[in-house]
Amino acid sequence: MKVLSYDDVELGDDLPDESPDVSMSKVTAFCTAAKHVFERFVDHEAARKEGFPAAIVPGIMSQSLLLAMIHRWAPGCTVRKIDTVFRGSLLVDSNVTMSGAVTDTDDEARTAEVDLVITAEDGRTGVIGTAVVEFKD
Amino acid sequence: MAESSGSVNIAEVRAEWIGVEFDWAEFIIDKDAMIQWASACGETDERFIDPSHSDFQAHPSFTTHCMSGRLFPKNFPQIGGGFGIDGGKTVTAHLPIRAGSKLTAVTTIADIFDKTGRSGTMVFIVQRMEFKDETGALVSTVDWKMIKKA
Repeated sequence: MKVLSYDDVELGDDLPDESPDVSMSKVTAFCTAAKHVFERFVDHEAARKEGFPAAIVPGIMSQSLLLAMIHRWAPGCTVRKIDTVFRGSLLVDSNVTMSGAVTDTDDEARTAEVDLVITAEDGRTGVIGTAVVEFKD
Repeated sequence: MAESSGSVNIAEVRAEWIGVEFDWAEFIIDKDAMIQWASACGETDERFIDPSHSDFQAHPSFTTHCMSGRLFPKNFPQIGGGFGIDGGKTVTAHLPIRAGSKLTAVTTIADIFDKTGRSGTMVFIVQRMEFKDETGALVSTVDWKMIKKA
């Protein structure tokens, strides 16, 4: 469910799960924009030579995938802070799942704290994090 | 926190190095890169993908790709071996970052601490980059946690 204002937010609310596109074309486009074009991100074979099962999604891209999810959940919000911990590799061209839940609210600041997770296709936790989301009204 | 990790005394390293500025850099924020970054991440909010939007701005974590010229200050003690692993990033978005703006970044060591678990003692070194715009306003802070085995 989308939340349009702070008053719509309830402690414990889940953000709608999403399966972001982490195809090679998207990851390559991201790496180009970030001037972050390393073989482990954009070449499956090169990544395997480095010991990975396949090319991996850059950590900074996974953080922005989560931000896009938050913006869809709460249109017009401002993410004031996001903290992510990279726990394990997310593979390019795999199916990953993003989820989130509201764990705290601040009526005075009109902010919500959201716990975030990205889960790899094989069920491993790839990224965990938190974000502080500010609402306009 | 332990007083020492291996041959390095963490308390002494903290006292000497936390807050010391060691790198300065400038970055011009490119409009096309802003759009490509946000679009590649599936962003649908027009503030981040439509340059004609009245509040067009960079994605909140856009500054995470702006790297400092040095990982550590000159003469920083060797802790553990090699580069270590990327433990994650914290981004604080203070103000919107606009296309074409010139950001000045100052890099410091924000924190050093260790944790001991099943795999032994790991040292966390937090590198902080603070980005200011042409007016001197702080727009973004990025903390990068590097993890090294003690």
